[in-house]
Amino acid sequence: MADELLENVRDALEGQIDFEGQRLAELLTTALLAISGIIAFLYGYIAQDIASTLYIGLGGAALTFLAVVPPWPLYNKHPIAWLPRQSGGTSGINIQVNGKKVN
Amino acid sequence: MHSTLVRGQNVFGFFTTVAFCVAGIIAASVFLIPQAPSASLQLRNVQVVKGRPHYYSPKREEYAHIKFDLDADLTTLFNWNTKQVFLYITATYPSLRASEPASSAIIWDAIIPSSSAPWHTNHYIHPVAPSDKSATTKGKKNSSKSKKAAKKSAYPAGELHLKNQRPKYQITDYAGRIANRTDAVLELHYNVQPWVGLLLWDRRSDIAMWKGLEGGRSELFNFPGLKGAAAKKEDLKTEKGAEGHRLMAG
Repeated sequence: MADELLENVRDALEGQIDFEGQRLAELLTTALLAISGIIAFLYGYIAQDIASTLYIGLGGAALTFLAVVPPWPLYNKHPIAWLPRQSGGTSGINIQVNGKKVN
Repeated sequence: MHSTLVRGQNVFGFFTTVAFCVAGIIAASVFLIPQAPSASLQLRNVQVVKGRPHYYSPKREEYAHIKFDLDADLTTLFNWNTKQVFLYITATYPSLRASEPASSAIIWDAIIPSSSAPWHTNHYIHPVAPSDKSATTKGKKNSSKSKKAAKKSAYPAGELHLKNQRPKYQITDYAGRIANRTDAVLELHYNVQPWVGLLLWDRRSDIAMWKGLEGGRSELFNFPGLKGAAAKKEDLKTEKGAEGHRLMAG
């Protein structure tokens, strides 16, 4: 019971996402931070107010953290289809690595 | 990017990169904003008296007390990336020996904040010109309001009109004797302190869209002989703006 609970907590903290989700998270990080930086500079330069540059930049960073760091369901839409469990080990299946047969 | 920790590290890492780049662009953007500082600085009066560095000192030195007029327009130094401008006036006089460099001493300085700088007790508050003073005393009924007005500079940041301004510091030579020294000159200098980027010193030469400082240099003058008991104490006072911080000595 306690082990199961601990396992759940660990899973929640680790927040794993699938491969497609990782690609999306990477893209979002780059895009959101870069765009918020550009907007921060342009707005501050036009308004001649450096404090707004600071706050837009920090706000953009906070938004990016919120969008990317938690394992949102969006990042787990493409779960990996593992092979079904085999009763007799790997004996029944043909595994190839770099064109060579291994067992 | 597979786990929370790795995503957090990645986002923070790229955030620092973006912050550094934006700071660099801000620092570079000020080169697109033209500057044309100008000033006129004149000597009003100079006296030399005997004094001591502090109350208990047995050492007697000669102190020069220099009053000046300053009209400056440094408003173009204030752009969106300016935090404050440190303004100072030096008195420079040649050494007695040709092989030695000239001596320079600061007689007055001020920290002029930009509008984006938070309030600080050391910020210079430009005194109200005597002609405007009568206007403010007229509206004395609302005393709290006039008190508040007295805490604000009389001119926008970078504009100065000081008449017969007392020095902030009396100066002496390292030898303790400054009477009868010749060919002294008063010069206005400044540092522009930005929010991000380079600290800039005053220049006489132009750089691209930035003009060098025009004027801000008095004519040559000589320090007079020692004035004995004839010097009135009232004439030898030092003075700052109306800012809160007071000098501990002098």
